[in-house]
Amino acid sequence: MKASAGNVLEDTRKAETEVRAGKYLTFLLAREEYAIQVLKVREIMGIQHITTVPQTPPDVKGVINLRGKVIAVTDLRLKFGLPETGYTQRTCIIVVQLQGESASQVGIIVDEVCEVLNLVQADIQDTPDFGRGVSTPYLLGMAKVKGKVKILLDIDHVVSAQEIHGIEAILNHQAE
Amino acid sequence: MSETLSPPSARAAIEQRVEALAMQFLMNGEQKTDSRQWSEALTALSEAADAHGQRDIASLAREVAGQVAGSAADPGTSEKTRQCLEDGISRLQEALLSAGNAPNPDAERPGKLSLDRELIGDFVMESREHLNSIEGLLLALEQDASDMEAIHSIFRSFHTIKGLAGFLELEYVQQVAHEVETLLDHARESRLAITPHVIDVVLESTDYLNRWIKFLEVSPFAEVPEAICRNKELLLRVLEAGKGGGPAQTEPIPLDLDLDLDLDLEEIEAPPSSKKGPMVKEVVARAAALSAGPGADPPAGSKRSTASRSVKVDTEKLDYLVDMVGEMVIAQSVVRHDPDLANSQKPQLVRNLTQLARITEEVQRTAMSMRMVPIGPLFQKMARLVRDLTRKFGKQAQLETFGEEVQLDRTIVEELADPLMHMIRNSVDHGIESPEVREAAGKNPIARIELRAFHLAGQIVIQISDDGQGLNRTKILAKAVKNGLIAANVNLADAECFNLIFQPGFSTAEILSDVSGRGVGMDVVKKQIQKLRGSVDIQSTAGRGTMFSLKLPLTMAIIDGLVVGVGKERYIIPIFAVREMLRPTPDMVSTVEGRAEVLMVRNNLLPVIRLYERFGVEPRSTKPEEAVFIVAEHDGRPFCLMVDELLGKQEVVIKSLGKMFQGVSGVAGGAILGDGRIGLILDMQGVFRS
Repeated sequence: MKASAGNVLEDTRKAETEVRAGKYLTFLLAREEYAIQVLKVREIMGIQHITTVPQTPPDVKGVINLRGKVIAVTDLRLKFGLPETGYTQRTCIIVVQLQGESASQVGIIVDEVCEVLNLVQADIQDTPDFGRGVSTPYLLGMAKVKGKVKILLDIDHVVSAQEIHGIEAILNHQAE
Repeated sequence: MSETLSPPSARAAIEQRVEALAMQFLMNGEQKTDSRQWSEALTALSEAADAHGQRDIASLAREVAGQVAGSAADPGTSEKTRQCLEDGISRLQEALLSAGNAPNPDAERPGKLSLDRELIGDFVMESREHLNSIEGLLLALEQDASDMEAIHSIFRSFHTIKGLAGFLELEYVQQVAHEVETLLDHARESRLAITPHVIDVVLESTDYLNRWIKFLEVSPFAEVPEAICRNKELLLRVLEAGKGGGPAQTEPIPLDLDLDLDLDLEEIEAPPSSKKGPMVKEVVARAAALSAGPGADPPAGSKRSTASRSVKVDTEKLDYLVDMVGEMVIAQSVVRHDPDLANSQKPQLVRNLTQLARITEEVQRTAMSMRMVPIGPLFQKMARLVRDLTRKFGKQAQLETFGEEVQLDRTIVEELADPLMHMIRNSVDHGIESPEVREAAGKNPIARIELRAFHLAGQIVIQISDDGQGLNRTKILAKAVKNGLIAANVNLADAECFNLIFQPGFSTAEILSDVSGRGVGMDVVKKQIQKLRGSVDIQSTAGRGTMFSLKLPLTMAIIDGLVVGVGKERYIIPIFAVREMLRPTPDMVSTVEGRAEVLMVRNNLLPVIRLYERFGVEPRSTKPEEAVFIVAEHDGRPFCLMVDELLGKQEVVIKSLGKMFQGVSGVAGGAILGDGRIGLILDMQGVFRS
C-alpha cells in the first residue's frame, strides 16, 4: 500500500514538473529573483496613482484604473513580509490574470521586471523542505539558470480566493 | 425519503455503473452480443446495488440479468438479447430517475439535442419574446375581437414556439403549442369567434409555456417537475374551446372587459359565446368592418417592425464598450487640456479638438443608450395582471398606460416588475371599490387605473394612480398607534401619515386575501425602489383615489455624486443621500461622554462621523471649523460626515471593485474621475454602521 501511494505521489510530481516547464517572466523583489508563468501576465506598467481602499490588509495597496477597469493592486514585498521601500522608476505593476470563476485580474507591485526565460524541465526542482514553520504553499518550485536561483511562484495561490477570505476574516474580526 | 436510505454518493455510484452499461450497450449494440457477459455484468450491478442498500435497483438488475440469460438459451437470437438488454437498461435508468435523485442528464434524455445549453438558451430567449408579444396581442384582441392581424400574429408565434419545441424535443411544450395553434387556426378561418373564454384559455396556455421556460432557464438539465408536466387538463380545455364550447362550470364567470368598444360592438358581443355558425361569421364580419374604421390599433404593427430591425448583443460586450468609451472621453479631455495644446494659437487645431470633443460626447451618449429598453413591455404585463385581478376580486377596472416608449436601464426595468406588480395589486384589492359601491358613490362602476412614465428633471417618474377610495387616514393612524409606530395624539401631515404604510408589517386591509394584504407588501416595495436608488411617494384623496409616484434614476450604471476630498484621497458621495452641506462654527460641535461627537443644526443634534478616522486617512485638518460637514441620511436618520473639502458634483460611472474588496464596508464601488484616477463611492449605510 505504502509503496503504491509513494508512486502516485511521484507521478503527480512528475506531471507537475511537466506543466511547470515553459516561459516565465522574472522579476526582482528585495534582490531575490522570482518568476511567474508568462501566460498569466496580461500587462506590465510603471507605477501609477493607486487609490487606497480602507480596511484592507497592508499589502493590498488599493485599486488602479486599467483602461476603464478597476483592478486591485497588491504589494508583493509586503505580502512576503519583506521590508517596504519607496517606489522608484523601476518599480512595476504586473497585471496578472487569475484563474477561477471570477477570472479577475490583479496587479502585483514588484521592484523591477527582468526578462522572459524559457525554462525546461531539467532546470526546475521542487521546493526543498525548509522544515517546520516554513510553509511554501505558493511556490511552484525553484529553477537554476546560469548558477542563479529563481523562485517560481504560483501566482493564483499568491493572490487567491483564500486570500480574499483572509481579508474578510480580518474584517469580520474587526467588526466583532 | 430514499435519500435517507441511500446517500447520494452511493446512488451516484450505481448510476455510474448503469451509465457504463448503457454506453457499452450503445457501442457494441450492433455487434453480436455475448449474453453471458451481460448477465454477469448485470448480476455484479445488482450486488453493488444491494451493497448500497438500493434494493429496488438490485432486484430489477437481477430480473434483467435473468431475462438476458434466458434469451440466450435460444441460440442465434442475438436480436432478442439485444431487445432484452435495451429494455432492461432503460428500465434501470428510469428506476434511478424516479427515485427522485438529481439525475445524470445523459441518463435522462440520452443523446438528445435538448442537452445543448446554448440551444436551450436560445429557445428560452426566443420563446419569451414570442410569449410577451402574444400576451400583448391577446389583450388587444380582447378589446377588439376582429383584429385579424393580431390573430395571425399570435398564430405565427405559437407556430414558431411549436417548431422550436419540437426541435428540442420538449414534448409537453409542443403539445400545448400545437393545440393552441389549431384553435387559432379555427379563429383565423373565422370558424371560431374570439370569446373571452378563448382568450382565457390561450392566456392560460401562455402561462403554462412561461412556466416551462422559467424552468428551462433555471435548470435545463434537472428532472422535470411533475407540476409542469401536467398539461392534460389544459389540453382538454384548449380542445373544448376550439370546438366553441363555453367555459367550464368551475371557472369564475368572466366579466365583460371589452369596455372600450363602441356600443354597437358590445351589442354584438353580448350574446353567449356558444353561438356558432352563420351568426358567428356575421359577428366577425361586422366587427372587421368596424375595426377597419379609423384608429384600428396601429401601434401593434409599428412595434413589430422595430423588433425586426434590432440586433441581440451580449451585455458583457456592451459594458465593455461603455467602459472603453468612458476611457476615450477621459483621454480626449486629457489631450484637450494638455498645456501645449491649450495654449496653441492654431485655429485649425482648436476647431479639430472641439469637433473631437463633440464626437466623443455623442458616442458616449449612444453607448449609454444602448443599455436602455422601453418600459412598454413591463406595462403590458401589468395590463394582464389587472385583467386577472379584477376577475378574481369581482371588480371592474381598466388600465390605461402612457409613456410606454420611455426608456430605462434594462436592470431597472427588470427590478421594477415586482414592486409595480405589488402596487397594482394593492390598487385593485384595496384601492378600487366593488362596482356596486362605486355606483352608489356616483362613480363610473368601471374603475380607471393609470400607469404613466415620463422624464422629470433628469429622472424617470412612474406613476400608478387609481380612482378608488383613497387611503383611509383614520384607519392608518389607528393601526399605527396600535402597532406602536406613533403616539396616540400625534398630529401628522398627510404625507407623513401615508408614509406609514411603508412600515414593515403594516396593512389596513380588513380581510386578508391571498393576493395582497399580508402586510409584507409596501415595505418591500419601498426597499426595492430604494435599492434602485429611487424614491416613492404617495398622494391620496379620500374617495377620489391614490397615486404612487416612483422616481428612478435613468440608469443604474451612472450616479450623481458629490466629490469630496479627505487628505490626498477623493471620495464620491451619492447625491441622493446628501441633505445639506455646511461649515460649522466651533460652538456647533460638542462631545458626548468625551467621545462621541454631535453637531447642532437648527436645534437638531446629529451624530458626527469623521471620515478620516473611519477610513484611516491622514486629514488636512482635524478641526471641525476647518472642515466641511455633509448632512447625509441613513434609513431616514440623518447624520454628519466630516470631510476636508468639497470638490464638486459629477456624474460618474459606477464600477465594481471586484471580489477582493467585497467585505469592505462603507465603500459601494469605484468610479473613474475626470483625471483617470479612481475615486471610491461611499456606501453611507456602511459608513454609518461600521
